[in-house]
Amino acid sequence: MVLKIDMAGDIPIYQQIRNQIVFGIATGRLKVGDHLPTVRQLAGEIGVNPMTVSKAYSLLKEEGMIVMDRRHGAQVNRLRVRENALNADFDQRAVLFISEARMKGVSEEELKTRILHLIGSIYGQEVFS
Amino acid sequence: MILLFLVILWLVFGIMAAYSLLYRQYRDHQILGITLSGIHAQHSGIKKTVSSFTRTCYAVLLLSAGCCFLLLIPLIRNYAEFAMLLLIIMNLLANWLVIGYYQKKLRHIKEENNWTYSRDNTITVDLNVAREKGKSSISSVWVWLFLLLSFVPAAVLLFHSETQQIYPIGLSLIGPFCQLFSVFLYYRIRNQRSRILNGETEDNLLLTRQEERINSISATLSALVMLVFWFLFNLSMVHAQNGLLIIAPMIFLIVALLGIARWQQNKTRNLEETLLDGQPGEEKIQERQSTWKWGCYYDPNDPRVFVPKRIAGMGWTVNIGRPAGKLFYFGILLLVFFILGFVAYGGMKDYQIIVQEHEMRIDAAMYDMTVERDQVASLSVTDQLPNGTRTNGYGGANKSFGHFSLNGYGKCMLYVYNNVDQYIVVQLKEKDPGYVIINGKTIEETEALYQEISRWLSE
Repeated sequence: MVLKIDMAGDIPIYQQIRNQIVFGIATGRLKVGDHLPTVRQLAGEIGVNPMTVSKAYSLLKEEGMIVMDRRHGAQVNRLRVRENALNADFDQRAVLFISEARMKGVSEEELKTRILHLIGSIYGQEVFS
Repeated sequence: MILLFLVILWLVFGIMAAYSLLYRQYRDHQILGITLSGIHAQHSGIKKTVSSFTRTCYAVLLLSAGCCFLLLIPLIRNYAEFAMLLLIIMNLLANWLVIGYYQKKLRHIKEENNWTYSRDNTITVDLNVAREKGKSSISSVWVWLFLLLSFVPAAVLLFHSETQQIYPIGLSLIGPFCQLFSVFLYYRIRNQRSRILNGETEDNLLLTRQEERINSISATLSALVMLVFWFLFNLSMVHAQNGLLIIAPMIFLIVALLGIARWQQNKTRNLEETLLDGQPGEEKIQERQSTWKWGCYYDPNDPRVFVPKRIAGMGWTVNIGRPAGKLFYFGILLLVFFILGFVAYGGMKDYQIIVQEHEMRIDAAMYDMTVERDQVASLSVTDQLPNGTRTNGYGGANKSFGHFSLNGYGKCMLYVYNNVDQYIVVQLKEKDPGYVIINGKTIEETEALYQEISRWLSE
């Protein structure tokens, strides 16, 4: 899986790493049990401080996306169904996206079609291997 | 001595020319630091410019080599060290101007043909490639072994105290220090960022593995060359009586390092060509901002203090965009100016030998000394000095002064004009130094000085 990190963007680098790994797992490009590079390896490749990568991995670990092992490093975790996945925080973020689209003049129909297409592109992928 | 200076100058000019010529090779989508796609690099205008650059480099080399003969003119010969530094600076400036001029020409061709590449500041990393990092390189055991072996001359010196007279043990530790630098180079080359060809992990992995292999082999070979150079240098220091022979290990080092750099470049280019072969259309490349300012690497956004030189495998340079890099760079610059200043001052300042009531004072750049009358054991004159080595002093084309170790004399203080074949030998009662050897600018001056010292001793 290829990560594309925008070094001059507004989104912090650790957030970009976290987001792209989440996207990779959701679309099946990273399978359960896949090994991620070590903090040092990835930091060396991107050219950032290891603390930046460590922060991204810590976030992913807290969210249960990856597991950290002393011997095997970081590994993609088995997906767990959470009862409270669609919580108030999720609603807040989704509402923000929808509001932003409306402010830019996107019609309801256009937005529904687009969102359904995006849902299809992610849910259509085989995640478990 | 002048012949030695000429050889050193030709060597320096040769390195500069080779460095410039390696820089013109198409590698990592760049020629002379200007981004060009593979197809655009084959454009007739680009090819013509590169050929013209090659010819100009050779012209600068020939012109610089020819200018060295100016050192044979007696008037310039008197200031040989200063003239030598001036020639080196002029050669560096000429090469720098030539590179700058041809970079402008390449940019102009790009603008004329409207060749633009994307300018986004995105870094692409393949997670599978990152995970494989370091697994295809030559083992680091070799470079550590070479480091260990570089201590052999120092260990040999420990058991040969006589050799320490002409070759101080402190000097024998310079080799391990340089060897340690090659260990550092090995790790930096091995861990440098992998390049991503496309979205296919297999292709990216193949490129990274092969490139890592090539880079680690060249780093290991460089470390081996450094070790062989160090052994040859030690042998020439201890056994060679002819100063010119000391140049031979240096020639070996430079030729071997340039050979390795060229091999590395060719292998990497062939690998790129093989992997890109058959891929449809123009490869997606990014316009890279020039991170070179005044001949130095300058990128405040790059967290690295030490970065590879423009030609990989040729060593490392400092990122002057970082505060630590600035400090290091200006520290080195200060040191260089101090050495240049010392060489210029030492080369121009004449010795002043003042004989007073009960002491003889010798005033020379940084190596002043005073001899009390009761310290002197004997006084004599000789017209030839035996071979020896400088342990801590100045050895120029016209003058030699400071601490020397001469065969048959042992530790001496020298304040002599090399082209005057008459020397006053003042033997001291002590052993360190055992002798003070002086002379004047002419034989007449030397004779007058001898008479003056004789009178002073007999008072």
